[in-house]
Amino acid sequence: MEAIIILFLTGIIALFLGILKQPKLTTVFSIIGLVTAGFVHYFPLDILNDKYNILKFGDAGNAFVVLAIVITGFIILIGDRGFQEDKAHIGDYHALLLFSLSGGIILLGFQDIFMFFLGLEILSIPLYVLAGAKRQSKESSEAAVKYFFMGAFATCLLLFGVALVYGSTQSFELERILEFTSKNSVGPMFYVGLLFILASFLFKVGAAPFHFWVPDVYQGSPTVFMGYMSSVVKLVGVFAFVKFFHIAFVNVHEFWTILIAVLIAVSMFIGNLSALVQTKFKRLLAYSSITNGSYALMAILYPGSVQDSSLWIFMVGYGLSVVTLITISTIVNDENDDISSLKGIGYKNPLIGLAAIIALLSTSGIPPFTGFYGKLMIFSSVWTNYPWLIILALINSAIGVYIYLKLIMTFLSKENSDTTPKLSITILHQIVLIACILILTFGWIFLAIWK
Amino acid sequence: MELLIIALALGLISFIIPRNSVKIFGLIGSLVSAGIAIFHLVNYSPESSVTLYENHSLPFGMTFHVGYDGLGLLMIALTNLIIPIILLSNYNNSKTSESPMFHALVFLMQFGLLGVFSAEDGILFYIFWEFTLIPIFLILYWFGSGTNKVLLKFFIYTLIGSLGMLLSFIALGLQAKSFDYVDLVSVQLPAKEACWIMSGIMLAFAIKIPIFPFHTWQPDTYTSAPMPGTMLLSALMLKMALFGMIKWMLPLAPEGISDLKWIILVLSVVGLLYAAIMCIKMNDIKRLFAYASISHLGLIAAGIMIFTKDSLVGASIQIVNHSLIAVGLFLIAEILESRLKTRNLNEMRGTATLAPKFGFWFAIIAFASVSVPFTAGFIGEFTLLKELTDFNTWIGIISATTLVFGAVYTLRAYQLSMFGTPKIDSFEDLRWNELAVFVIISISVVIFGLFPHLISDLVGPSLDRLLAIFNAPTSL
Repeated sequence: MEAIIILFLTGIIALFLGILKQPKLTTVFSIIGLVTAGFVHYFPLDILNDKYNILKFGDAGNAFVVLAIVITGFIILIGDRGFQEDKAHIGDYHALLLFSLSGGIILLGFQDIFMFFLGLEILSIPLYVLAGAKRQSKESSEAAVKYFFMGAFATCLLLFGVALVYGSTQSFELERILEFTSKNSVGPMFYVGLLFILASFLFKVGAAPFHFWVPDVYQGSPTVFMGYMSSVVKLVGVFAFVKFFHIAFVNVHEFWTILIAVLIAVSMFIGNLSALVQTKFKRLLAYSSITNGSYALMAILYPGSVQDSSLWIFMVGYGLSVVTLITISTIVNDENDDISSLKGIGYKNPLIGLAAIIALLSTSGIPPFTGFYGKLMIFSSVWTNYPWLIILALINSAIGVYIYLKLIMTFLSKENSDTTPKLSITILHQIVLIACILILTFGWIFLAIWK
Repeated sequence: MELLIIALALGLISFIIPRNSVKIFGLIGSLVSAGIAIFHLVNYSPESSVTLYENHSLPFGMTFHVGYDGLGLLMIALTNLIIPIILLSNYNNSKTSESPMFHALVFLMQFGLLGVFSAEDGILFYIFWEFTLIPIFLILYWFGSGTNKVLLKFFIYTLIGSLGMLLSFIALGLQAKSFDYVDLVSVQLPAKEACWIMSGIMLAFAIKIPIFPFHTWQPDTYTSAPMPGTMLLSALMLKMALFGMIKWMLPLAPEGISDLKWIILVLSVVGLLYAAIMCIKMNDIKRLFAYASISHLGLIAAGIMIFTKDSLVGASIQIVNHSLIAVGLFLIAEILESRLKTRNLNEMRGTATLAPKFGFWFAIIAFASVSVPFTAGFIGEFTLLKELTDFNTWIGIISATTLVFGAVYTLRAYQLSMFGTPKIDSFEDLRWNELAVFVIISISVVIFGLFPHLISDLVGPSLDRLLAIFNAPTSL
């Protein structure tokens, strides 16, 4: 609870610091705020928790909060260069990111639908603004409008579903809903409500059949915020999805598990097969985020996934790969965003080459990188109940390897490697890349220390 | 543990060694690791199994457990002794020998291979197995001439096979509640499920060996790879699959063998025959050796599937022999290709008159390759053929034709490239490092040919233990 307040206050102060037009100062202040919030969350002060015990995180929730804060910190560090050209608004961007993150943290700890809805809106509304941050660009405006309409529509569905579920169970609290459903039989109204909530969740995490906004919005948004959407928003969204369904709807799981399993299978094929033919880097990442989001969603198919380390490890691997690729995309800072403009970038700067190889291998699930352990644990947990889904997922992994390997070959392409000038990168980008390399390479340490 | 760590450390240090001293460093480093392997070999008492490191506190029943028995030690020693030979034969190669990156990748590859040979945990085995793909892929990509298509095919083909293996390990591990080798072996399975699990594991190995009809990635990859890359692939990486068949596939799901034995056996024999026939008309020398490799390995794979003591001992001897021969043959191909600027056998003539030393050593290696008596190949192949004939006369007879075909294509290659009137005026004879490689290989092949018990004593006890596992369920 204190962490959310600290983040919120940091955001407000950053908003006003923006008036000074000193990007460095704002960045440093935001990072200090994030670090403080992380510490306060992990070593709680317990000032407010007696009165406001509406948020409960648990071990996994805490780990997710730390992960979200770390990734947001990286995003702010990467964004440093991009923001500097837009000095007048840097405070706004930091503030909006921090507001969105505090919404995300509420989503990681909610106990009732009321807090859940608040968190979801606080998470989403700043993003509608950030998606349109590049005001001169048509695509960015399109992305903002599209994201806003789609998001608003999803929210409508959610509220309608919540109303129906409340109508049939007389409670907003997840535990009460669980209690009610285990004692009484529920009517069709409850199931309709469940379906509406499911649809709005699928909207939020970008899974089929509600994935159509993802590529357009990701491509149009400024690169840094796209990184935030596809890492933090995704991990928070999937966690909330799994938690919500695992607590509130677990008694009717025969009703929704098979449906979600089929949707997962469909979305991973949609994501991968579309990613095969993309020529724009951000669009490719958007489709790959659909696929990876559906791998993560598999966590909903086995009990205990929000208590153990499987989903978390997967998200560490995926989130940091996204951060690495976004960093590279920001460094190249190519306006037209073609994959071909990334040719031979590994030769221009070896650190970028190394980071790209590791991030892409990790996403494709090649050991010994972190992404592999996440996939392994999720897949092996789902295997007992849904072997067909895992076989489809492995086929998709193979397609994914093809996509990411082609990217690696582009990054390391020897074409005119002698003539290209060396690319120098800022110290902040170096820090982010090195941190990502270390976390992605030594992810197995997390396995050993997680208890 | 120092076995694994030294390879990793050498790999990481190589990145920062300056260009002009990296080849000396690589050679000395690989000799040090070979020395450690010999130290382990000397201190090893047969019938014991050594644990290098063990840690069970990982979630999901994964363990970090490395160790070796006789068979594993044979493969570990083979890896550590072949790597210096590969680096030595690469010593004067202008493309690769001065690149720190290349040496780093070779040592990382060595680390992965050692991991595969010493892993005592299913997931760990898989991790190292996949890990070896990364350095070899980068070696092929940076130093080879392959198009992206060839490389993608190689990587994805082998990866798809490995995914089948992973699936089998997961299915088995969830029943055993642990991925430790001992626990995986002790799981009792119904025959149908064992059949599926075995096919999953076999898919990975069949693609890696490669067994007909999964071999299509191999000739292109070999041809386009740089010389040390081809050596790593054929001398060491394919041996992972043969080792995996003996240590992992058969003991993990012995219940499935009766259904799959004939399929794999027939495919292996068809493959060895097919590859041998392909070789006879092949004019590209590197491609010819690639197909020859399919043919030889097909025989080993068929021998392993019979799973008797003698066939496994024969397979072990033949694994060692083939590793040595493969390094020699691909070095010969590289010498011819780099000095004549062609791989076409019809365009080479009379090299022996210009370079008599080269002609002599090529002959030695060629004879070793066609398994004349006094070479290790003779012992290995004849043991395998005897076991195959005992198992089924027809299989034995068909497999035995590989000897005839082998003599035909190897000697044809020798004749076309060495004899006749030379087309060119000069041909640089062997350099010191190439001579050293040929001498080492020839001596080792003859030593193992005269004293095969050096290998059979080492692997015998651990093979007995494997056979005991294998025979247990049938007696139930």
